[in-house]
Parts: sequence; structure tokens; C-alpha cells
Amino acid sequence: MADPNKTDELQFYSEILSPSELFAARSRSHKIPVRGQKDFFPNDSDEQRQRLEQSLNEQWSLISEERVEKLGNLVKATWILSEQIVELQSPAGKFWQTMGFSAKGKQFLLPEEALYLMECGNVQVFYQDLPLSIQDGYEMFLSSSTVSLQQYQVFGHLKRLGYVVHRFHPSSEPSSYARQLNLPQCRDRAGRQLKRKRSASPTSSNTEAQEESTADRLEEGKHGYEGEEDEKLPESQLTLSPETSSTQAATASSAHKGGGRTWWMTDVLKDRPDQRPASRTSRWDFSSIPFPDLGSRKCLSSCLASPDPSLLPGSLAVGVCDIALWTQKINLREVKMSSKEQKREEDKRRRRWDVNKDREVQQCRNWAEYRKLLARRQGKRKGRPEHLWDREVTPLHDPRQPIPTGELLDKISVIESTHLLEGASRLKGSDDWRISFNVYQPDSVADFKKSNPGKPYSRMCVCSFDGPVPDLRAIKLLSFQSGDIPVVFAVVDHGDISFYTFKDFQLPTDVFP
Amino acid sequence: MVTPIMATEGAETTSEDVPVPGKASTRFDLEKETELRFEVEAGEAAEQVDLELLTGMAEVFGSELNRNKKYTFGPGSKIAVFTWQGCSVNLYGKPEVAYVSKDTPMLLYLNTHAALEQMRKQAERDNERGPRVMVVGPTDVGKSTVCRLLLSYAVRVGRRPTLVELDVGQSGVSVPGTVSALCIERPADVEEGFSVQAPLVYHFGSTTPGTNIKLYNKLTSCLADVFSQRCEVNRKASVGGCIINTCGWVKGSGYQALVHCASAFEVDVVLVLDHERLYNELKRDLPHFVRVVLLPKSGGVVERSKECRRDTRDEKIREYFYGFRGVTFYPFSYEVRFSDVRIYKIGAPSIPDSCLPLGMSQDDTQLKLVPVTPGRDLTYHVLSVSSAEDGEEGARKGIVESPVCGFIVVTNVDTQAQVMKVLSPAPRPLPRHTLLIMDIRFMDMK
Repeated sequence: MADPNKTDELQFYSEILSPSELFAARSRSHKIPVRGQKDFFPNDSDEQRQRLEQSLNEQWSLISEERVEKLGNLVKATWILSEQIVELQSPAGKFWQTMGFSAKGKQFLLPEEALYLMECGNVQVFYQDLPLSIQDGYEMFLSSSTVSLQQYQVFGHLKRLGYVVHRFHPSSEPSSYARQLNLPQCRDRAGRQLKRKRSASPTSSNTEAQEESTADRLEEGKHGYEGEEDEKLPESQLTLSPETSSTQAATASSAHKGGGRTWWMTDVLKDRPDQRPASRTSRWDFSSIPFPDLGSRKCLSSCLASPDPSLLPGSLAVGVCDIALWTQKINLREVKMSSKEQKREEDKRRRRWDVNKDREVQQCRNWAEYRKLLARRQGKRKGRPEHLWDREVTPLHDPRQPIPTGELLDKISVIESTHLLEGASRLKGSDDWRISFNVYQPDSVADFKKSNPGKPYSRMCVCSFDGPVPDLRAIKLLSFQSGDIPVVFAVVDHGDISFYTFKDFQLPTDVFP
Repeated sequence: MVTPIMATEGAETTSEDVPVPGKASTRFDLEKETELRFEVEAGEAAEQVDLELLTGMAEVFGSELNRNKKYTFGPGSKIAVFTWQGCSVNLYGKPEVAYVSKDTPMLLYLNTHAALEQMRKQAERDNERGPRVMVVGPTDVGKSTVCRLLLSYAVRVGRRPTLVELDVGQSGVSVPGTVSALCIERPADVEEGFSVQAPLVYHFGSTTPGTNIKLYNKLTSCLADVFSQRCEVNRKASVGGCIINTCGWVKGSGYQALVHCASAFEVDVVLVLDHERLYNELKRDLPHFVRVVLLPKSGGVVERSKECRRDTRDEKIREYFYGFRGVTFYPFSYEVRFSDVRIYKIGAPSIPDSCLPLGMSQDDTQLKLVPVTPGRDLTYHVLSVSSAEDGEEGARKGIVESPVCGFIVVTNVDTQAQVMKVLSPAPRPLPRHTLLIMDIRFMDMK
């Protein structure tokens, strides 16, 4: 079958196998080595090392194995770098039913489709008239502007399982407005397909998709903006883009530092003027009103000056009074206390402390202020703590008011249960999470039409095992975008792929109000 | 310490000029700032003792003595005659003890009065309220006497102070088992004490605050409220301030009651008599703007026995019905139908907390009115006639906080006829029909 003229060329890009080699290749075992149980940590044993080596060798030999295909089975195609697309040169095979698209009377494959078909041995892709190896395909087709390696891994995985996998175009989904109006969408889709066929220049579906997605995002952004305007909506905080939300958080924290910070501190700090508490005196100046107080020895001279006769009845004139004598004559009356009482008193005295050491008490000038202070403290201890209630933000419930348990639970449920689609229409789109593929059931392949694929079975969002778990906002966004079709997260862990999905559910309530 | 000077040593000469038939007379010449203390024997058969001021000036608990007027003191009296300038007095009869003491804290008390008067002057000048003074101390340190002294001095310099009597055991104003307030307009009578005209009296029902401390505190607050209201409308009463006499229970709940009282009346000065620990505790527990003053007790104060206290209580009730020395008033005795009156006791018996409904506390029961079914055991009990309106149940709420308009004593109960015989200061009918029962009993034996 080799053309002698082209021998050199053929030898360069192709290898003709000898019959014996062909036979060997045909009769080769097609079994994929079983990986078996996974060892979780090295235990330095020879046994483990050998098992590992054997397994590695099997993998290497599998990978290095020569792929032998019939040249006639291979569909020729060309990689168009500028458009990041593969154009078929010879008629397509059976795969055309579920893959590829035509435009301008030509047949095209998307890079991931081409790569998958290369791996399957259905397509041979040339670039600058040179055939590409599978490794070349990986290097050239997978890029940030087409699909990532992870996305391709998911694509390939699903394809191998038999699913029909198409790229997801955000614009193919009706906008929330269209959804609200309940516009029929199949017509729209069919129209778009037609439009693509008719389109004058073969635009890369990717760029088109990008344009459409940006347009869509703009539209969604508009929706989000509307949501933002309506500040009363509880979800409005969710609509904030990361920047605005961060600035908001900053302002909030600064406000927190300013006014709200001291909510947990006692009011001592708040009204702590620099003046000494001693400067606030009561209306009686007891330093100038001489009481014969035998208790305070330090401020008392041994003799009490004779009082002003005008203060005394009958204008008495009395002499000085010697206090010293009396200081020894205090406690004449014995107070009888049982030992138990004495102990209790002793205990009490040790525990209690001088009220006047309290700065706040020192600030009080009269009983009215002091009682107000006490009442405030009493209130703190007993009823509702005042400092929690005199701010803008108050507790959700006043504990003094009785309320049925059910109502109370309703009242204190700060994080209200939400449905995935609730409020999602007001969210702005984000680039962090994107739906990559529409997935159709394998059993639908028989009567699958690319022009009218129908409702996908699910939609795939590809993410890495090392990356973050999607937050509620992302989940809401994606489910809104996807409408009534479930979004499945394909989590890629170094080639292993697992699938997760978030579902709405209702918490059971067993409270009967 | 007290240095008793034998009466015969100090006053050799007996007064021959004023012979009293059947009574020995003893003359005492007192130097300045000394006092003559004498006690009259207690008991039925005891002889009264007469006191007469011969020369100079003297006072008994702040009330000045008139010269050449005989003052008579009945059995159980304990009197101190003090002179600032020196005097001579005559005692007729046989006192149980009589001696002259130089060692009196009168000068300290006078200084205290001077300080209070200075405060009143300031209050008058600044249009403020006058000093409110609480006198505290254990039993038998002369609290009532100090109160009387300070009140008399204040009245003598032209003030109108108020006496607040919180000593439910030994009330100086009304019958025991009550708390009361009395506006003082003239110095105490040397023999009778302060003239009791229109006092404000609240029913407490027992002789010790411990039986219902909650009620005690509540009544204290009631008195304080009324006094404050009076101060607002009566400038003179406001400047005069008040002197609060407390009971001698200074431990545990009693101490708490003192602190509560200080807060309720917003006292400015606390006078602690002879109890340094109480002084320190109050200094610690009362805010700094309250001046706590420790004063010594007088050496002349004598300890009273339980019997003595009971006798004074009995005497006080008798005085209510029959007047001073049982000669002034003539009480009435008449029958009251059970159906005409409602008798209550304040304070339900305490129930264990576990038996109470959730969220209820024991405090609520202490102020509760419990209806009393009239029966034989009502006999001899003192009943307060509450001034609360005789309205329907709605009026019940105010009964505890309503002052008392008078007292009656049940002398006999006839369960058959459903009537009781009462001793009443006024003729029938009863002014009000809500009666509050006291633990205190009075037997009209004399």
C-alpha cells in the first residue's frame, strides 16, 4: 500500500508495519492492568516496592504501546491554529452524529472532540501538513482559550462512558426574562443553529461563545444591578461583586472600630473623662462640716473645736471636746454572736469589697445618680441587658416575653433556609465558576440530533480537587443559569474524577407550636 | 468609764425649803457638763420619783427643765439630767440608782447637732433639702435617746425635723409593730416624750423586722416616699430633714434593711452608735457621699431585759388607749360583727420553691394578703384599722401600702353570735372595715 515515491515522506510521518508486527499488534491483550488496592503510605518493605514497580511498569508499557490503526479508518483533518479549530478533510465517520458541526459547507471539530477522536484512533490531525501525535494534540489543543486539561479529562471520561457531551453555551439558555415569560426555547436554539450554518465567516464557536457569554453576563449584570438597587431585599448583599463586598466589609469593619466596638465593654470606658473622680463632689462638703466621727482617726484632731454658738440651742457656749478620751470608749456594748454567725460574717466580709472603690460609684454625686447606677446594674443582671438593647442592632428576641417554641425558632432563624434558585436571578455573574458541558444520556445516542439535542441530562461544571468548594453564591448562580437541569460538579483529582451535586432539601421540623 | 459619784457626797445638803410629805428628798449639785442619772424601780408597787430643778439650767434628753416645776417619773424610768452650765436639782422619792457622771458624750452629740445645723443652714441658703440622718447601732446603745436629743435641739433652734421611727419593737411614736413618721414641732415633753399628733403610721404586725423583712423594706420605702412628697410641698420640713431611728438588728437581713433604708431615704449622714464594725461595714457599703459617723454611746445607757421590753411595749399600747399614765383617754368597748369587717394578715406562710409555679419567687408571698377567719384565737390580738378604701377587691392591692388610721384590740370573740368585742379609742362605727392582724397581743388587765 505504500507509494514508493512517497516512501521518505511516509517514513517520516507514518510507519508501515510488517505483517508479523501487525499480527502481534492485533493479537495483543487489550486488558488494562488492574491497579488494585491502594497503599496509603510507604512502609519501606520490599514487597510494597516490588508491587509498586510492577504496577508502574505495566502503566508505562501500556502508555508506550504503539497504537495500530487502519489508515483507511482514519479521518484526515487539519488544525487551524488561528481559529483554534479542526477542519475535516475527508468525510467524517460515525462520530459525526454526536460530534462536530458544519459551517460554510465545511465540517469542523472542536479541539477536545478532535483530541478525543485522536485518542480513539478515528482521526488523524495534520498541522502544516505534518501529522500530530496524541502528545502534540494535548499540547496544541488544550489551552486556556479552548478547554483546560481538566475539562478535557472530564470530557473524555464522560465520552468513554458513552455520554454525549457538548460544550455549554450560556446564551443557549433562555435569559431569566425569557424564562419568566415562558418563551419557547427550542425555536430559538434551532434558529441559532441555522444562523451558525449560515454565518458568513467561519467564526470560532469558542469566540462566539465568549461573545455570547459576555453579552449574557452583561444582561445578568443588569439584573444584578437591579437587585442591588433594591436594598431592602435580603439577598442584595449577595449581589455584591467581590470588590464591592470587600470595600463594604472594610467600611463595616471601620464602622465597627468606631462606634460599635465598645458594645461589650462596660460603660466605664465610654464616660471616662480625664478628670479625677474625686472632683465630682456631693453637695455637702463634709470637710467643712465637722462631725465628731470617732471612726476616721486620721482626719480628726485630738480636740474638736467648740461649735459655733449660733448653731446651738439656747446659744450655748461650750468648750473644746477632747476626742482622744472617747476613742477608747467605743464598742462598749458587746455584740453577742454565735461562732457560726461569726464565721459567716467573716466570710462575708472577705468576699465583699468597698462599693466606693468602684469608679462609677465614685462618679455619683447623690443618691439619685447612685440608684440609677444600681438599677442599671440590676437590670444588667436580671432583665435584659441594657447595653444590648440601646443600640441599633438588638437581639432577636426579648427573653422576658413568652413565645411558643415554633415562633421562637422562626424568629431566631437568622440563616433562613433557601432554595437554590431563590434570589439567584438578582446575582451578578462571576467568572470563577462556569458550566462547561451539556451531558446527554448514552441511551439517547440512537436518535440524537445535533441540531435539536433536546434537554440535557445534566450540566457539568469542572473543578479541581485542590480548588475551593463552591460557595452558595456560585451554586445559586450556576443553578440559575442551568434552570431546571441539575448541575453536576466534576471534581478532578489527578485524573480521577468524581461527581458531586447539590440538591435542594427541606429540613424536617418536629416542633409543634 | 463611768465614775459614779455617790449622791450624798456630791450633795450633802438636802433641800429643807420644799418639803414633800412622805418622800425623802435628795439634792444634787451638778458641775458644768455633768449629768445626774437615776433609775426608778420597775414594778407595780414601785414608787414614783419626782425631779425638781432648783438653780441653774438643765435638760433631760435635750428638753429643758423648768425651774421649780416637779417632773414625775413612773416605774422603770431611766433618766439623765444634763447641765451645760451647772445646776442643782432635787429628787423626791427613792430612786433605785442615782449618781452624777462627768463622763458623758453629750459634747459629741452637741457637736453632731452643730454639724447638722450647719447643713440645714446651707440647705436653707441653697434652697436644697436638709440633712437626712439615720441613727443605727445595736440594741441598748441609746439610739432613741440620741434621736430625741437631736430632734429636740433642732426644734429648739427653730427647725421642723421629722422623726422616722423604724424600730418596730420599741416604737416611740405609735404602738409596737408599726413603722411611723412624726413631724416634730416642739421639744419632747420631759415626762411624755414627743407629742404624738397626726403621725403617719404603717402596719407591720410584728415586733421584729425579721418576721417579714420584705414588708419591712416595703414600708420603709413607703415612708420615704411620703416624706419626700411632704418635703416637696413643705419647705420647712424639707430643710429640717429627718432623723431615722432604726432597730437594733444589725446583722444579716437587718443590716440589709439598714442599707435599704439609707437608700430609700437618701440619707446624708449615718450616725453609728458604739459599733465600730457596723461603722466599717456601712462605710464600705454606702456610697461615698454619705457621711458615716461613729459616735460613742453614753455610759448611762442600761441594758433592758426581755421582760422590760415587753413591759414597755404593753405600756405603749395601754398609752394608746388610755393616754399617758392611763388617765387622759377613755376608750370604748363595743361589738363588731364578723360580716362587717375583713381581717387580713400580711404575708402568706412560706412555701418551698419546688411547690411554686415556674417563674414565681417566694418574695411574692411575703406581701400577700391572707384573709383571716375570725375565731377564738383572735382574742387579745391588736388589729390595725387600715385607711384603705372599703371598695371591692380592687382596693386590696393598696392595703399593704395604706397607712393605719387606728388600732383596736379584740377583747372577746363570740363564735356563736359571730361577733367580737373590741376595745377602740373611738366610739362605733369603725371608720374603715379592713383590719390587719398583728402578732402582738394586749391584755387589758389594769
